[in-house]
Amino acid sequence: MKKKLLSALLVSAMATSAFVGCGGAAEETTAETGSTTEESAEATEEASSEDAIANLIAATEGTVNIELWCSETEEYQTVMKERCDAFEAEYPDVDFNITIGAVSEADMKDRVLEDVEAAADVYVFPDDQLEALVKAGALNEVAAQYTYDMNETDTAATVEAGQYDGKQYGYPFTASNGYFLYYDSSVLSEEDVASWEALTAKAEELGKEVGCEVANGWYLYGFFQGAGCTLTENEDQSNNCDWNSETGLAAAESLQSIASSSAFKSYGNDDLLANLNDGKVVAYVSGTWNVNAFSEAYGDGYAATKLPTFQVNGEDKQMASYSGYKFVGVNAYAENTGWSMLLAEYLTNAETQEAVYAATGEGPSNTEALAQASSVALDALAAQSEFAELQRVGGNYWTPAESLGKNILDGKVSQEVLDDAVAGITQPVE
Amino acid sequence: MKKIGVYFKDFFTSITKGDIWVKLSLLIMGAGYFGRKQFIRGILMTLLEVGVLASIFRVFAPYMSKLSTLGTVQREEIFDPLTMQKTVNDYDNSLLILLYGIIGILVIIAFLALYIANIKTVYRLQKMQEEGEHLSTFKEDIVSFKNERFHITLLTLPSIGVILINIIPILFMVGIAFTNYDENHQPPTYLFTWVGFKNFINLFTTSQTITFGYAFVRVLVWTLIWAVLATATTFLGGILLAQFINHDDTRLKGMWRTLFVITIGIPQFVTLLLISKMFGDYGIVNTFCENVGILDFLKNIGLLNAGDAFIPFLSRPGWAHVTIILVNIWVGIPYQMLVATGILMNIPSDQIESAKIDGANKFQIFWKITMPYVMFITGPSLIQSVIANINNFNVIYLLTYNYKTTNMSMANSHATEVDLLITWLFRLTNEYSNFKMASVIGIITFIVCAALSLLTFSRMIGGDKEGVYR
Repeated sequence: MKKKLLSALLVSAMATSAFVGCGGAAEETTAETGSTTEESAEATEEASSEDAIANLIAATEGTVNIELWCSETEEYQTVMKERCDAFEAEYPDVDFNITIGAVSEADMKDRVLEDVEAAADVYVFPDDQLEALVKAGALNEVAAQYTYDMNETDTAATVEAGQYDGKQYGYPFTASNGYFLYYDSSVLSEEDVASWEALTAKAEELGKEVGCEVANGWYLYGFFQGAGCTLTENEDQSNNCDWNSETGLAAAESLQSIASSSAFKSYGNDDLLANLNDGKVVAYVSGTWNVNAFSEAYGDGYAATKLPTFQVNGEDKQMASYSGYKFVGVNAYAENTGWSMLLAEYLTNAETQEAVYAATGEGPSNTEALAQASSVALDALAAQSEFAELQRVGGNYWTPAESLGKNILDGKVSQEVLDDAVAGITQPVE
Repeated sequence: MKKIGVYFKDFFTSITKGDIWVKLSLLIMGAGYFGRKQFIRGILMTLLEVGVLASIFRVFAPYMSKLSTLGTVQREEIFDPLTMQKTVNDYDNSLLILLYGIIGILVIIAFLALYIANIKTVYRLQKMQEEGEHLSTFKEDIVSFKNERFHITLLTLPSIGVILINIIPILFMVGIAFTNYDENHQPPTYLFTWVGFKNFINLFTTSQTITFGYAFVRVLVWTLIWAVLATATTFLGGILLAQFINHDDTRLKGMWRTLFVITIGIPQFVTLLLISKMFGDYGIVNTFCENVGILDFLKNIGLLNAGDAFIPFLSRPGWAHVTIILVNIWVGIPYQMLVATGILMNIPSDQIESAKIDGANKFQIFWKITMPYVMFITGPSLIQSVIANINNFNVIYLLTYNYKTTNMSMANSHATEVDLLITWLFRLTNEYSNFKMASVIGIITFIVCAALSLLTFSRMIGGDKEGVYR
């Protein structure tokens, strides 16, 4: 009931503010009363969240145990430890015992779902795992916020990406998990990296390598989406996909001819890093997780830009991409939901995001922190963001897409292969 | 059938012919012992009865009553933003219902058996008393577990172990195969329920969207081929190697043996991961082959297409299959060599001597005396290693975790050409949370292994062959 009261207050506050906006100068008296109501409502809301924290502190007995899982890299572990200590200092009356576990973000879903009840109370995960985590009931809904309001402080796209079925599940953490093109500007010009055709031609001439991991649904999507095909998810988690249309076939053939260049490679991350260090790779589609590797390998020539275009039916099409975000989530089975939520808020506020940016180079989702962050990679990501889409795709997409990518690399594109791939991608979910 | 009839007939005669103490035992299981003044046994038996009945009604009954639906109340939570506390309803956990339900049924069956045996025992005690025989005291009972009933003492722990480690998980898995436990029905938050034979039907269905039938046949065939080839190659290789090292003219026998045994010393995990990197599409073996010209040679003889930029050691069907078996030979031979060395040293030399005197050459001795002897000794362990290879997760998974199939029908059911049943099962559970299909595949694997071992064991050890070499 109290939850309803709070939401009723929120709704009334929003309604009056909307009324204020519409009212204008003609009805000054109403507008004035309106704004006073709004102020009082805001005051109530602030007071209520302060009350809530006070209530929580009063209701807390003994030690509060919170387990936090985040990336295993040293940078992450250090910065998260610092921020957790700062969080403990914020509430001196409470005795905390915050432990930090090292779990690679790519494995987060698997590790959490092994045993939801035993998993960490608070964990960092990439947006593509949101759906699976929500479906398994592993995420606590962000029903209310106490120390900041993400709708005001964070970019709308990130907040939206943390939602599922209209409910907020993730606390926005970083907004730089998408992909773009790294290149070595000492050998490649801006014209060279504008299109895949020019890029592969130049690389062949140089005897070097360029590429994109085509045998991976995450990247493959960019080509088909860019060509004008669609891939969307239905409510029952099955997919809609028209990649076997005429456009899809043209896109696949175009990609096949690009990939047939001897300079074009589809490396997985390990192979990419090995060949990058050997100095063979001069341009590659990747993301902020490889910032250090690329900037070291290219030195003064280190540059990044939006993804190249490619030709479909004689027309230049801009390659699209998935935008990627990271969230902090609270386990639905957390031992202490209240404190876990407060910690999650603390780990996603402007200050923490700045600290994380400074430590790892990952772009903040907080608008304030974002304004101060600038790097080659983040600028490239921003340039690509216009063509980037939120990743919402059912689980049956990945294996058929990976196989389709492999077929394209092997030069086996045909209408039949595309038909089978689409049949697999769109297969019904029981 | 007759035995079952006798079993229950004895039970009923015990009741009808038993005296008051036996009849009382129907209610209080210790009563029959109290009547014969065996108080400690009586107390222990009554305590056991109380304990088991309490656990059945207090612990298992709530779960077993929901076994038919696997739970109906889904978890719901209400978060109070003012106190920041969460209230959760009393929800059902399908997984626990299934697990405790199965254990509960086992406990009940065991209790019934104990109950019937108890009545028969107290009736026997009654008869012994009537005939004036000596009734053992509790002390004598304890002592008998060290002497004439020692086998019972010895077998208790292993039987409990088998029930806990083997029987309960297998029953549990069989149960899951008949439910819809997948990524959309994951406990504790969500419920799953019975779906009958639907998953089994799916496994044998092939359509454009459901390709489990297509994938299953191919995976099964490769699993069997792999198991037989992997066992045969390492076994033969191991024996030949041991034979070479054992040969009279071989010097530094100890050194050779140590060299091969070192391979065992390095964890297989590390070796296999390294090999999978080395033989990767852009690994050092490929770089070497390209530089030396092997790549071009293979293209010239038509084994590779003109457009291939690398040798697909572990990334194309056929190639990957051969590589896997070759790598396995290298990893597996040292083990078989150790086994074979022990056996070869124990071959009765009189047989070989007499064969030599009769003028047999070395090959004849090897094929007619050594091999049959080795086959006889290692037969059971060979079957065991075929089964172990059917479930040889390590070699396959670590070598091919990067493998991507180009066969759409395989991809649509998340299988690849190099998957064994066990790695397919792993992929389904670990990456797709599809526990229902994984359980079905698990059952099929179990059936294959069980059938194989029953068939071969009964052929090899059955009859009077045991005496042949004595």
